[in-house]
Amino acid sequence: MMKTSIHRTQKNRQQGAAIRMVSPYLIHLAVFVLFPVLFSIFLTFHQWNIISPMKYTGLDNYLHLVNDRLFWKAIINTLFFLVIHIPLQLVVALFLAWLLNEKIILRPFFRASFFMPVVISGVVVTTMWQQLYGLETGVLNQLLTAIGLSRVEWLSHPAMAMVSIAIMATWKNVGLYTILFLVGLQAVPQSHYEAARMEGASPWQQFWYITLPAINPTIFMVFVLSTIGGFSLFIEPYIMTDGGPLNATLSAMLYIYRQAFGYYHMGYAATLGLVFALLILLVVAIQKRYVENTENA
Amino acid sequence: MALTMLVLLGSCNNKSHDTDDLTYWTSNNGGEIAFAQQVTALWNKQGGQQKIAFQPIPEGQSSEEILLAAVVAGTTPDIYSNIWQGLVEFYSKSGILVALDTLKGFKELIAERCDATTLAEITSSDGHVYQLPWKINPIMTIYNEAILKELELDSFPASYSDYLKAAKNYSKDTNGDGHVDHWLGNTSMKLAWYQRLFNFYPLYLAASGGMPLIKDGKAVFNNKYGIEVMTFLQSLYQNNYFSRQVESAGQDLFIAGRYGSKWTGPWEIEYLDKFKRPGFQYNFTTMPVPDTHQGPVYTYCDPKGVVIFNTCKNPQKAFDFVRFMMTEKNDLLFLQTTHQLPRRKGLDTMASFKNYFDTHPHMKGFARQSHFVRGSDVSPHMIEVLDIISQEYEACVIYQKKSPAKAMEDAEKAVNILLKTLD
Repeated sequence: MMKTSIHRTQKNRQQGAAIRMVSPYLIHLAVFVLFPVLFSIFLTFHQWNIISPMKYTGLDNYLHLVNDRLFWKAIINTLFFLVIHIPLQLVVALFLAWLLNEKIILRPFFRASFFMPVVISGVVVTTMWQQLYGLETGVLNQLLTAIGLSRVEWLSHPAMAMVSIAIMATWKNVGLYTILFLVGLQAVPQSHYEAARMEGASPWQQFWYITLPAINPTIFMVFVLSTIGGFSLFIEPYIMTDGGPLNATLSAMLYIYRQAFGYYHMGYAATLGLVFALLILLVVAIQKRYVENTENA
Repeated sequence: MALTMLVLLGSCNNKSHDTDDLTYWTSNNGGEIAFAQQVTALWNKQGGQQKIAFQPIPEGQSSEEILLAAVVAGTTPDIYSNIWQGLVEFYSKSGILVALDTLKGFKELIAERCDATTLAEITSSDGHVYQLPWKINPIMTIYNEAILKELELDSFPASYSDYLKAAKNYSKDTNGDGHVDHWLGNTSMKLAWYQRLFNFYPLYLAASGGMPLIKDGKAVFNNKYGIEVMTFLQSLYQNNYFSRQVESAGQDLFIAGRYGSKWTGPWEIEYLDKFKRPGFQYNFTTMPVPDTHQGPVYTYCDPKGVVIFNTCKNPQKAFDFVRFMMTEKNDLLFLQTTHQLPRRKGLDTMASFKNYFDTHPHMKGFARQSHFVRGSDVSPHMIEVLDIISQEYEACVIYQKKSPAKAMEDAEKAVNILLKTLD
């Protein structure tokens, strides 16, 4: 009996210590994650401009969302961005990682150079690319016209603007994914390649049958990170195009921001945010299922 | 999360002064900080008054966001200058501003500074006045004087047809690459709502003789003037008379001589005098108007006012300081320090201002224009209204996807739905 009691006291003490140790994280989680999420859900049923009292509106925000042509346009724009950005990012990052995995001169310099845009402020990068993309005075168009080609309306043509933003976003983020791929590539045992070479496998066969399967988890990780990163597309269209031309670069995040901090429609912005978050969850779940099925097959 | 950060940001208002002092936030423009420093020092030196502690508005994405954050966090200053006239109704409807017309000395101050039109413009829908008109920066046409000689003109074109004719003659491809690289004018292609305050709106005021966009809770801009303005602007882009370059930091194609003119405010003077090429001569004129236009040419004046927040413990004292800040003498100090116009009637004929305008002839043109200016309409949803117009502007003017009549009609419908839903 006595022994059990001592054991219980010790267990309680251990539990108390454990709770105390995790409590800073729990508090942080409650204040900065749980509360904002619950409050956002609460807001979706209200009309609120931050400084006036809230007004209960039931499902009005959800009904408005269903008929909000601009929101669905923003969702399609964001998906269009992802369709260009993700494959471009994967291919370029993998190619650069493969190059950096070879014994090339100035390898540390190139690694640092490719990573540099990742640590530069998004605003700085965007402003710089805005100048490069300039219709009349941009360096890219000057180069194109210098070699006898037509200039491109990089940011002012509705069909081109999102492509231009995707190219810039790839340049900005590719360094991070290059490093991730590099780590993946370096983890592939050299003995596999040696064995393949002895069997007469070409470099392409080595890449297709050894490298790709070996770095599949990295590809999935890059795929998911790019998707989530791509869904949060905001700074680039905000600074470069403000969602134009003709709403061609209006991303979902930019639209939510505009509703919240441009018009102070906090309730509606929360509704848009919630639906958008569910959409991201859905896309990531589909991606996960697809990769798992591929692996099992 | 963003909201939480907003509140935290707003609460970072370190009061380094005596707690009995009244706080005054000014904009973070260098000239206005210098003016605030001088005027508060003069006030505090007088003695026997409640002291004023001034500080520039904390840095942030925009002054509107900072103000909002301060309201949420309960750290608003007692006095804030530089509030955009179009925003005041939003704040007053939320009950966070002091009705200034309830304070002693209001009538005298308003009578001294404003005419009946300005007073009507700043009067809220509840009949009270929550802002004191403080300063204006009228939007006018600035042009490179060299183009007059080149186009053999005596003066810069004033009517739409003359403007379009001059634009046609001035557009040219100087480097032979098959693309026009010199244009008569340029204006922002950006979609942001406030950009329409520097092209569509002043042109609409000029064409219509100062008519509002909204009246009695309804859109009233779908009229012959609105359509004429859209048609004029559309012609400029359709015929490649205006550049389609999206401007960015570090470029000034007006100084470079690629744009012959643009629509801007008096802030351009100080900037040009600092950065213009030797020999570059410029001048200002009114906004272009339809060929049939008669009477004075109105424009938008980018009005900013002073408000007192209801967190102020002593609104009357705060108002007394604002009155002091707006005396004729201090208005002159403001003009000299900031090169922005005080919003005061008869600005160009006042004896005390004569010397300043004689030594700043370009500013005199703006002072003359100040007789014919309009601010913003009274609505808590002005930003959204301008955003809707901006969407239609882009579709009609820049990309010619809609006719001017259809664009105006669609904008009118959208604005009316908005006002009906939110009011």
